[in-house]
Amino acid sequence: MRPENYQSVSQPPSNEFELFYGPNHPGIEGNYALKVRVHGDEVTSARADGGYLHRGFEKLMEGRLWIQNIALVPRICVPDPVPMEVCYSLAVEELGGIEVPLRAQWIRVMQLELSRIAAHLFFFGGHAATTGMYTPMFWGITDRDLILDLFEELSGGRVYHIYNIPGGVRRDLPPGYLERVSKTLDYLESRLPDYDNLLFTNKVFVHRATGIGAMTQEQALEWGVTGPNLRATGLAFDVRRDDPYLVYDQLDFDIPVEAAGDAWARSLVRRSELKESLRILRQVVAKLPHIGGAIRAPIPNPLAWNLPAGDVYTRVESSKGELAYYVVSNGGDKPYRVHVRGPSAMHAVQVLEHLATGARIEDVAQIMFSLDACPPEVDR
Amino acid sequence: MSTLQSIPVVATKAEKPSGGTGNLLANVFDELTAFCRSRSLFMLHYCTGCGAIELPPAMTSRFDMERLGIQPMVTPRQADILLVTGYVSTKTLKRIILTYEQMNSPKYVIGICSCTVNGGMYWQSYATAKVLADYMPVDMYIAGCMPRPEAVISGLRELMANIRAGRSDNWRDYYRRYDHYLGNQQRLFGENWQTPTDVIGEARHYGQFGPETLGEHTALLERHQTPLLPFEMRLGLGGEKTGVENKGDKR
Ligand code: SF4
Repeated sequence: MRPENYQSVSQPPSNEFELFYGPNHPGIEGNYALKVRVHGDEVTSARADGGYLHRGFEKLMEGRLWIQNIALVPRICVPDPVPMEVCYSLAVEELGGIEVPLRAQWIRVMQLELSRIAAHLFFFGGHAATTGMYTPMFWGITDRDLILDLFEELSGGRVYHIYNIPGGVRRDLPPGYLERVSKTLDYLESRLPDYDNLLFTNKVFVHRATGIGAMTQEQALEWGVTGPNLRATGLAFDVRRDDPYLVYDQLDFDIPVEAAGDAWARSLVRRSELKESLRILRQVVAKLPHIGGAIRAPIPNPLAWNLPAGDVYTRVESSKGELAYYVVSNGGDKPYRVHVRGPSAMHAVQVLEHLATGARIEDVAQIMFSLDACPPEVDR
Repeated sequence: MSTLQSIPVVATKAEKPSGGTGNLLANVFDELTAFCRSRSLFMLHYCTGCGAIELPPAMTSRFDMERLGIQPMVTPRQADILLVTGYVSTKTLKRIILTYEQMNSPKYVIGICSCTVNGGMYWQSYATAKVLADYMPVDMYIAGCMPRPEAVISGLRELMANIRAGRSDNWRDYYRRYDHYLGNQQRLFGENWQTPTDVIGEARHYGQFGPETLGEHTALLERHQTPLLPFEMRLGLGGEKTGVENKGDKR
């Protein structure tokens, strides 16, 4: 169309504007958009506009074998893919009545916690960048790369490691792997004071993040908030402790809680969670050499593997919140129905809409990043 | 097989812009521009799919793309490279085409990830567009699921070498074969699909107007446009009725 073909529509004079916030916008996380109405710089209403990353996962999974879906699931949440694999595997194992060997369970916990650390480091960088501080972003992403190196050594993939499969894990730890994990943990631990200096006690960040996007515990529960965002409103709920899966009931860790419910509290909760994850990983590294045995329970020929009919609901705690799979089998070699309950779908739609309304336009990016929503998982 | 052929594995050879007259000064100038262009690439900050997760490591301290003169840029008007990082759903594809048309020439498109080559693991998905090269000319593909930062950087270096040698000029293809690209877009989005950019006018402006710029699909474009009102009517000056009613905001 030629530009001159656009007809201007005359509007009454007003201070209200409707802005398209995203998808091509540096203040938006991934490929996601908001339509915001602003009056001056105050947002009067916000509408989430997703669907840019929709691939129809739940439909795709119905067309593939049980084992093939393992390659598909990590793509649902890109920054934190391991919980996706583990949660799906847990569902399939429960359907098929497979007992996972103990060693595989411990390896899975190690993977989950490493992935959580990587996701939180990414979060620090993203959240700090929305307040105008770019150094934490460089630090966070570079430190996260160390964990990706560990993943790469273990599974061959930096970001997507199709490593957890129904029945266990694909291969055993390479020799000397645990020492390298410990070394990385030592390094990350030594970095924590630096992060505190740079970010968490930095006046710029504290002032900028306090009171932004605050929600109360009642609101959080009403909107379906889970994970660190819920713990930032003062409720100590964590699937790892309250509905333990794998070997989390044998591990010793705390659930960090903050009361304020704002962006600052959300960021502090994740900082403490990073420390707890390091603590869990230390226990796993100490324990793993003493646990022998197989890493995989035998499964039938995966290309002709019919699971008994039934339905299961499994949930795990991902770095974004409570992640769950509802899997239905009708006795065939493919799932009859898979539903993914992703935490980000709540955080990025209703919560973000509510919190952005009444905020100032420059805070919208910070609210979005502090909720740590993951757009591919919203759209699926 | 037609799709295989449309993947520009080796970019088309550039004709000498000055018509090959051997004007020494013009040649030196072209060389200089190509050199400068290849050394200051701004890439558009638009993460379209999961491949975008490998860009932060590639841009920050560990792999540091900035040493090659490549920087992220937030507006399409100032960007040189459009990185399509992964699968494009239909909704995203519309935005990508809009973005691509807004960028100033010369512009380069890089398809990162297997999903832009042939649909990747979403080959049977109802929601994604499979072959990116059907909708816009692609200068370079970096295949992999997902490509590592090293692969991204080596792909970008190859693009730099191509620009320097004058081999990467697929943006001309969009103007020369606009009818073909528009046809593919219309097949996906419906026949009343149109963008606010005057591609045909730009093709004339850049001297890229060719026999395949116009065709049956661009004819459709004309048909679905709101007819042009006389200037006076739009300003509300002339009282004459032209028989054309204002259809309002078509956006
Ligand atoms: S090729 Fe792989 S990593 Fe890239 S967009 Fe497709 S699924 Fe994602």
